[in-house]
Amino acid sequence: MIDQLAIFTVQGQLLCKYNALGKKFSEQQFNKFIHTLIAQSIATSNSKFPTLSVDSHTFMFHETKQPFLYYVVSYSSSESLELNQEAEQVLNIAIKLWDSLGLNDAIRKNQDHAKSKKNRHNYTWLLEGAEDKLLQFEQFFTVKYESLKVTSNVSRPPNSLAEKQQQQQPKKKAAAKKNQSSVKSRKWGANGMIDDDAMAESSALDFSPASMSNTASDLAAVDTEGFGTRTKTGEFLIKQIDDLLVQSKNDQMENQQKKSQGRAFDFLQKHWLGNKTITESDLSLILDKLKKQLIAKNVTPTVADYLAAQVSQNLVGSKTANWTSVENTARESLGTSLTNLLTPSVSVDLLHEIQRKAEDRDKDGNKNPYVFSIVGVNGVGKSTNLSKLAFWLLQNHLKVLIVACDTFRSGAVEQLRVHVENLAQLIDEDHVRGSKNERGKTGNDFIELFEAGYGGSDLVTKTAKKAIKYAREQAFDVVLMDTAGRRHNDATLMSPLKSFAEQAKPDKIIMVGEALVGTDSVQQARSFNQVFGKGTTLDFFIISKCDTVGDMLGTMVNMVYATGIPILFVGVGQTYTDLRTLSVPWAVETLLS
Amino acid sequence: MDNTLLIALVVILITSGAVLIVRRNTDGLITSVTSRNGKKLNRDPTFIIAGPSSSGKTSLFSLLTTDEIKPTLMSQQPNIALDFLLPSATKNFKFKLIEFPGHPKLQHDLFQTLRDSIDIRGLIFLVDSTVDPKELTTTAELLYEVLKITERRQAGVDILIACNKSESFASRPPMKIKQALEKEIDSIMLRKKKSLANVSTQGDSHLDHETHALDIDPAGGFKFECLEGTVDALDGSVLKNKVVNWKSWIDLHAVN
Repeated sequence: MIDQLAIFTVQGQLLCKYNALGKKFSEQQFNKFIHTLIAQSIATSNSKFPTLSVDSHTFMFHETKQPFLYYVVSYSSSESLELNQEAEQVLNIAIKLWDSLGLNDAIRKNQDHAKSKKNRHNYTWLLEGAEDKLLQFEQFFTVKYESLKVTSNVSRPPNSLAEKQQQQQPKKKAAAKKNQSSVKSRKWGANGMIDDDAMAESSALDFSPASMSNTASDLAAVDTEGFGTRTKTGEFLIKQIDDLLVQSKNDQMENQQKKSQGRAFDFLQKHWLGNKTITESDLSLILDKLKKQLIAKNVTPTVADYLAAQVSQNLVGSKTANWTSVENTARESLGTSLTNLLTPSVSVDLLHEIQRKAEDRDKDGNKNPYVFSIVGVNGVGKSTNLSKLAFWLLQNHLKVLIVACDTFRSGAVEQLRVHVENLAQLIDEDHVRGSKNERGKTGNDFIELFEAGYGGSDLVTKTAKKAIKYAREQAFDVVLMDTAGRRHNDATLMSPLKSFAEQAKPDKIIMVGEALVGTDSVQQARSFNQVFGKGTTLDFFIISKCDTVGDMLGTMVNMVYATGIPILFVGVGQTYTDLRTLSVPWAVETLLS
Repeated sequence: MDNTLLIALVVILITSGAVLIVRRNTDGLITSVTSRNGKKLNRDPTFIIAGPSSSGKTSLFSLLTTDEIKPTLMSQQPNIALDFLLPSATKNFKFKLIEFPGHPKLQHDLFQTLRDSIDIRGLIFLVDSTVDPKELTTTAELLYEVLKITERRQAGVDILIACNKSESFASRPPMKIKQALEKEIDSIMLRKKKSLANVSTQGDSHLDHETHALDIDPAGGFKFECLEGTVDALDGSVLKNKVVNWKSWIDLHAVN
């Protein structure tokens, strides 16, 4: 059984809400859904209706343009084919019914600013003059949905009615039980003392069991009666509804035929005049061209297809502005889609978060260090970017502990030691290379290296835990953990990451990806995002080596598309200062130029 | 001789036609909210409703435009009312009312419009007054981003911090919220100064001005008073239809 149905506009107006259980409609549930929908990029392709799971619910949705509406059905997410089918059916009914009742036409008419009837604010409410139709829709939909439920119940004959009874009986029973347990019958003896024997007699006061069977059968009788009358009116309505549904199909056919008649003026409008209604065929050539351009900029074909689909979804049926060619309109729309994709859905302010974490102290009064762990494929620049990050943090007067969790590759620890020496020297000119600080470690007061030599994967988690404990005791603000590079498609290499994340519990997991990589970036990002187990994902990307690719920024788009995770920093060179934040307008402009 | 006359006539016809069409365009009849390269400018007098998610922006928009409270969900696109008429306002003053979604991923639309609109009469920044002042960071961040753009104008943009949900017992007085926002923006400005430079600042010059920080000197902490535009804070409640304060604020700013 589905949970809720909602029909709403992209502008956020909830036009129709329906709760299948007869409870209060929960907006919260759908807000969460929309939030996730905006944050993720979902390709609408293979299945008939796309689905999205948020928390404990699955949402099956359908979006239409002109008018821009969302039809969403929610149901509890348990992998059941039956539920999926039911949701699909419900969605189908809702869409067809909505259209055949002329609600779409009404909205379209009201959206036309020049022609619509306006209220005293010079504004037209979307459903102005269609309130009765909306009521009709709600009524029809309820009836149709109930009938759907009945038929699905009938298809399982032995327990259709029995189930109903059972559903009602437990309620009664529970009530009865409550009576029994909470109200003890009390009897007072002649001397004013409570007579304990009366406990045994409590059943004498409890009439419920005897009446239970009666009420149950009564209920059943009433229920079937109710069913009878409802189906009588229901059947009548259903016929009307079915007629409507058939009619809508015919209308659609006619519309398609109308569209196929071309106009002579089209060519001029398309290339020069503007004000043209865009059709699929106008776009196909242009989109091919744009797709090729994107692919040339290192964007994966699947991502390019997705973006093109977004553009055609947004534009087909709409009108171009005056003096604007279809191509320019498409390019502009592509820019918007790219901006939407690349803009992070959470604002990230690392310094703020580090500060906040330091504020809540643990029980010994020590401040909690903020832990970053850095992962990635071999040779993408994990250590290099880690030291750039360290340099930035040092400049903000934070104490940084660098942890060598790469216990596998030879020279990894030594490499980090060189970085730490360099950074220590940059911060404090008097630092002597190779000297130890007062705690006997490489580095100075501000930056230090925590190392534990080389060994197996259990050494990694051990080192990580020890390092965090050490950082807490020595009042470090930030812990940066370097991990070994690993191939994303090798399970034996990837699986230790899970236990690492569980044990070390880093505040932020950062993946370094190189801008050079191309098509494989999608798979890399996906694999790394999934490896940490339930509830833990990557937090950001650092895209390295951006100085080597020029304007081919496609990898950024690929990685964000694959995971919905924002790009925090961009590496643009070899020195410690070559770390930048990403500017989305800049990236979009570069990709489209 | 005949030929030249004919050509001259045709030329005159074409130019006058072109002029007519161009004039129709720039009249502001057809304006797009999202123009990426700033070619299309919004010349209408405009009021903007913005703010963080679930502060009640769409509800306020519905209330203002239809006088009714309508059920809403999270918006994904801006709501626009063209030639909007507030009956209590000075006679026949029509303006454009745009309400933007609060989701962080969709905020670029708001920023673009702020850049492309010439005549912004006021910005209504809706805040949920029941939120703990300590949790106002994201709200303050959005306001900071808005200010970064509006303060680049000559006279800034007047902002109303509309503290919604005053009907709730947990709501806080507008002055408190204003102070909390001031404090938050102050610390944001400090942090921004310390954060890394933007990738586009190297090389591309035309995008440069976009990345500048808020150009005021916070001697003794950031205060709304040192901004070009005025910032007011008023409470109200969309749910209880108590928006008189805000309406009169709009009235006041519609005139000048």
